[in-house]
Amino acid sequence: MRLANSDFVVQSKSMHSNWAADHLQVIRTLMERSALYRRALAPIMIFVGLAGLAAAGLGWALRISQPVSFVAYWYGVGLIGLGGAFVLVRRQAWKQAEPFWSPPTRRVAQAFLPPLTAGFILGVVALFKPSGLSPADPAAGGCAPLWTVLVGLPASWVILYGCALHAAGFFMQRGIRLFGWGLMLGGCGCLLLGHRLADAELLCLSYGLMGALFGATHLAYGIYLHFTEPRGNAT
Amino acid sequence: MNPEPFLQLDRVIHEKGRLAIMSMLAATPSLSFTELRDSLGMTDGNLTTHIRTLQEAGYLSVTKSFQNNRPHTACALTPAGQQAFRNYINLLEAIVEQTKAK
Repeated sequence: MRLANSDFVVQSKSMHSNWAADHLQVIRTLMERSALYRRALAPIMIFVGLAGLAAAGLGWALRISQPVSFVAYWYGVGLIGLGGAFVLVRRQAWKQAEPFWSPPTRRVAQAFLPPLTAGFILGVVALFKPSGLSPADPAAGGCAPLWTVLVGLPASWVILYGCALHAAGFFMQRGIRLFGWGLMLGGCGCLLLGHRLADAELLCLSYGLMGALFGATHLAYGIYLHFTEPRGNAT
Repeated sequence: MNPEPFLQLDRVIHEKGRLAIMSMLAATPSLSFTELRDSLGMTDGNLTTHIRTLQEAGYLSVTKSFQNNRPHTACALTPAGQQAFRNYINLLEAIVEQTKAK
């Protein structure tokens, strides 16, 4: 079989184009894979851990159990945590003369945003309609509203925060996704445990949950990162 | 088809392994030897050879230090490497555009 010269030219053009387009695609994939969020997480984790432990201790000491006070208190703690993390990240970027809003930072923020927004909305819903999230009918009496605010809400926050860490973990070090899984399972465990407790024990579980899952785990992970993560290698 | 862009492609970067190293380093200030090796699935020897070639071309700088009492090798693109990589991408885009236009 004989092919005309023009056939060769057409085939050659297409091959060149495909080859170049494939190369560009491979380059794009590799660049995305390498653009991980690499700012030092240890100071952020240690700060969040200490803030969580201190807040849980203070809340327990003050016996904050009224729905409005409880939700407002933890919103305040959340704001302090976010603000502190922002300052620490900003400081690192400034020290290394890098843009704060780098592509990896943007991707991590985008991954965090939906679960954190959901957690915020859940708090607002629980605040204005405490029985709305209850598994039991509040009209029938019982401790449903108390359970909702003191256990259901914090456990949901922990689960959603775990989801956020897991989602962000795709753009961060591998350990973050595992940490997210741990928080999600811990939150689910507290939901199961909370059903078996009496009213008097709910406050203890609530602050214990926040202190252990938001405070102690972050502190432990931060200390681990402090001794293991490379320094001065940021994106 | 104008063969000009194809002929201008930098042969140092054009090799598959070296292109992968350049692509990874183009998106981040620096990467450790281990990160590069694990991400690209290369052997130590293969990666070392490619890094040396890129270093000799002036495209890559290697910094050796100690982290937690362990040796740490960090690789980064030099300004010349960044420029060469940008040129390479521009040429690839020119090849794709050239075919699209016809």
